[in-house]
Amino acid sequence: MNRLRALFLLPAWAFTLLLFLGPLLIIVAYSLRTKGVYGGVGPPWTLENYVRLFDPLYGVILLRSFLMAAVSTLGCLALAFPLAYYIARSGRRKTLLLNLVMLPFWTSFLVRTYAWMFLLRDTGLINSALLAAGLITEPLPLLYNDGAVIVGLIYGYLPFAVLPLYSNLERLDKSLLEAAADLGARPSQTLLHIVLPLTAPGLRAAGVLVFIPCLGAYLTPDLLGGGKSMMIGNLVQNQFTSARDWPFGSALSLALMAIVMFLLWTLLRRDGGEML
Amino acid sequence: MGDLSLDAIYKDFPSHRVVDGISLTIPQGCFYSLLGPSGCGKTTTLRMIGGFDEPDRGTIQLGGRTLNGLRPYQRPVTTVFQNYALFPHLTAAENIAFGLERRRDPDAARKVQAALDIVQLSAKAGRLPAQMSGGERQRTALARALVVEPELLLLDEPLSALDPKLRKQMRLELKELQARIGITFLFITHDQEEALSLSDQIAVMHKGRLEQIGTPQQIYLQPATRFVAGFLGAVNWVGDVGVRPELTRISREAPAPGARVLEATVNSSMFLGDCLQVETRTPAGDHIIAQIAHGLGEFRRGDRVHVWWRPDDEMALPQ
Repeated sequence: MNRLRALFLLPAWAFTLLLFLGPLLIIVAYSLRTKGVYGGVGPPWTLENYVRLFDPLYGVILLRSFLMAAVSTLGCLALAFPLAYYIARSGRRKTLLLNLVMLPFWTSFLVRTYAWMFLLRDTGLINSALLAAGLITEPLPLLYNDGAVIVGLIYGYLPFAVLPLYSNLERLDKSLLEAAADLGARPSQTLLHIVLPLTAPGLRAAGVLVFIPCLGAYLTPDLLGGGKSMMIGNLVQNQFTSARDWPFGSALSLALMAIVMFLLWTLLRRDGGEML
Repeated sequence: MGDLSLDAIYKDFPSHRVVDGISLTIPQGCFYSLLGPSGCGKTTTLRMIGGFDEPDRGTIQLGGRTLNGLRPYQRPVTTVFQNYALFPHLTAAENIAFGLERRRDPDAARKVQAALDIVQLSAKAGRLPAQMSGGERQRTALARALVVEPELLLLDEPLSALDPKLRKQMRLELKELQARIGITFLFITHDQEEALSLSDQIAVMHKGRLEQIGTPQQIYLQPATRFVAGFLGAVNWVGDVGVRPELTRISREAPAPGARVLEATVNSSMFLGDCLQVETRTPAGDHIIAQIAHGLGEFRRGDRVHVWWRPDDEMALPQ
């Protein structure tokens, strides 16, 4: 029985060890090496790449990334909460509405991000419509700035916020809301004192699920930010491509991973591990 | 403060009419029960008084002030919910303080302490609902609803989640509490024993309508309909006449003249602890059950007996 179990688990273990842990170890090794003259990695072993992380130049990019991710996460939560609340209260149409939330996943993220470029660019749908309506005379600068990146990030990760919030709100006992109203709480007070505290685990889960991919995003800032809005993901990508500095790129991505793991650890500890 | 009056209240659900023209007046300070089987519309009636549902037609007034259209937080009415609906993230004291804080009551701390004392929960003030027993939760819910000094307290089957022993104890405490604070209690229940023992007045509800309103004695001894008679306790029916088993006597010899007498044969005899229950059958085919005290004789299957009762104990209720 145990042998059989081991046999069935073998593919998963082999996959994890070889294809997940393996590359990670390679990255760790690269981060401790020196950049070759024509790219690539070579001797000697060094901690130089980690020291460079503390260069204020990169600190600024890291800080920017945190700020962009934080703003996007807050935007996602603000949009997702009422939406999840509505879905959780909509009876038989729940399944339909949830499927609509998932619908964007049916096409590639890249294609959808390109679609946003068509919406936002100077000759795009929004500017053309506004120009045609005579509301503006010059196209609004909608694309290639931080705003565009944040809109793209919110759009991309909104479903990740809706789902955990929905599962939390769906379990919220309706009689608690009635009890609050019964005792004199206006709807806003019920929201503040009852609904939000009771859905805090869902809010934290949604926040983590959105914040982490936003922090590491590179496609959205690359396409919608037009290179003007660099985030840490773009910096990593840069080191591996145009800068040809694999060791420093590796150190950067490990640093990003460490930050994310620290965040997860703090939050998971708080919710006793049941958050995700 | 004042009387609660419902005037011709109707409420339809998509599939059927739940409340079908209810009118009643509950005097201030009364312990009033709305008694009926599940699905009779009593909970919907309570929800309309609390403001959680609106009647389709009819007016609800409290002390002459119309409550229709007011949100629950605008009504001087609070509720003890069937599952208590305690806020799980707040302690007993915080649950009780909730309503006072919404009112920005400057005296909240003292009132919470007083409420905790009244329901004897001072030692459990810091407990979360999950750390309390059923009885403690029930008392917290009661204190939470009473501490804001409502004009009317609604209780939606508040004892049904408790085990039988605790239920009887809480029944006593509830009755005492109501007598002490003197505000109107509207108590919803499907348990006739609960309604009979607690209430000043009972309204019996069936299929969205009121069958009868009266004191426990009136409802039990002079039921207005067969439904009321049967819902409040067992009845021996002989044609259009009914009599309660505990008012039915049984003897081998014929009783003194003046009693209503039937001859019958004993079917079974059962010891119920507090009484002996003898089930008999008359030649006409009626089942007559008599509950008698111990020591009034032994009866065995096949014994020929007389079953009888005083004419005063009869309930004449045509089918």
